[in-house]
Amino acid sequence: MACPETKKHSSTKRKFLLFCASIAALYPIGRFIGYSIPRKPRIIEIGKPIPIGGFHLGTDFILFDNGDITWALSRKCTHLGCTINFHEKENILECPCHQSRFSKEGMVIHGPAKKALTRYKVEKLKNNGGYIVTI
Amino acid sequence: MEQIRKIFEDIRWGEYSLLALYISVLSGVVVGLQYDPSTPLYSVSTLDMLVPFGAYFRSLHFYSSQLFFLFCICHVIGIFSLAQSYTSRQWALLTATLPVALLILFTGYVLRGDATGFSAGMIAEAILLDIPYVGSTINDLFFSISDNGMKRIYLNHIIGFGILWGWLAWSHIKKYSVSFNRHIILSISIFVFSIFISAPLEPDHLGVTHINGPWFFLGLQELLRYLPPIVAGVIFPSSLLLAIALLRKKHNQFNNLLFFILFWLFFYAILTIIGLNR
Repeated sequence: MACPETKKHSSTKRKFLLFCASIAALYPIGRFIGYSIPRKPRIIEIGKPIPIGGFHLGTDFILFDNGDITWALSRKCTHLGCTINFHEKENILECPCHQSRFSKEGMVIHGPAKKALTRYKVEKLKNNGGYIVTI
Repeated sequence: MEQIRKIFEDIRWGEYSLLALYISVLSGVVVGLQYDPSTPLYSVSTLDMLVPFGAYFRSLHFYSSQLFFLFCICHVIGIFSLAQSYTSRQWALLTATLPVALLILFTGYVLRGDATGFSAGMIAEAILLDIPYVGSTINDLFFSISDNGMKRIYLNHIIGFGILWGWLAWSHIKKYSVSFNRHIILSISIFVFSIFISAPLEPDHLGVTHINGPWFFLGLQELLRYLPPIVAGVIFPSSLLLAIALLRKKHNQFNNLLFFILFWLFFYAILTIIGLNR
């Protein structure tokens, strides 16, 4: 018959092994859930021209065209990720969650956001055929 | 004052919360039969506008869930004196059910996919990602909206958080059974109320200048305006949970802990009022 001292030792050993096994199991679980399947770049075609000085509001981006330059900005606020809106009257982009403001070029006018908005690649199609935005 | 306290403690808040939970789970199963997490806003809009009785079941799910959480809070306050006989571990596990219940409620808001829900989800993701070392893993486990849309949040809303809540509360709730018959007025009230009052839905539209998050999130949303996400979104709320978990009459810091909790709640109420009036 095993003495109580041996039993206690065996139980501690078992608990320690279980603890080690649990920690070891966390690694593959962590790697599994943390893996992001590489996303294909989304190519969005806007089939009609925007009037000079106008804009086009997409779900994830906003496109501007001033005649010479076209540019697209992400609508994800750099503070906490809410979807920003464009206020045409004031010519600014504003986040509805904490009212961070950005210029039409995406630069921070006032916080709490600190970083400029992400810019996306835009291709203007010939003969006023529209635009292609790559996100 | 003593009489009010006695009346409050005599109300069977625990039974009420379980009843609301039953209705919430059952109506949730019904809503889930039509809800599609790959197109959340479209799915919720069609539930409200096209699916027969869709708006009613969504409303029933929404309000019974809110009631479940509110009754839970009343229950904790009401049984606090009785709960002194619990061990510290039991008390800590039971207080942990509150944030988990809140997470179930919160993920329900996010799953609407409307302006409020989506923004609340993105804010939660940003808060988690601000936690050093483990934030990214926690986000991958619970939210990950940017990479996975509503997929993981939906899974946790219907299964993950439910299992966690059940595990934390099981040793407590397995002792009790609640039937609809014993609380017929409350049951009918919830079913009838949901006929007349729709669950909120706020589709995104151009030029919106202000979004208010869920009612329990307003104070946090306001605080995030001034403080970094890790402080406003993690340390500040965790301090309340820790204080509640440690709040035992035998604790030598009982009065200080109680003062801290009351002060925290008062401060949060002020932040909520400021947020509401923006």
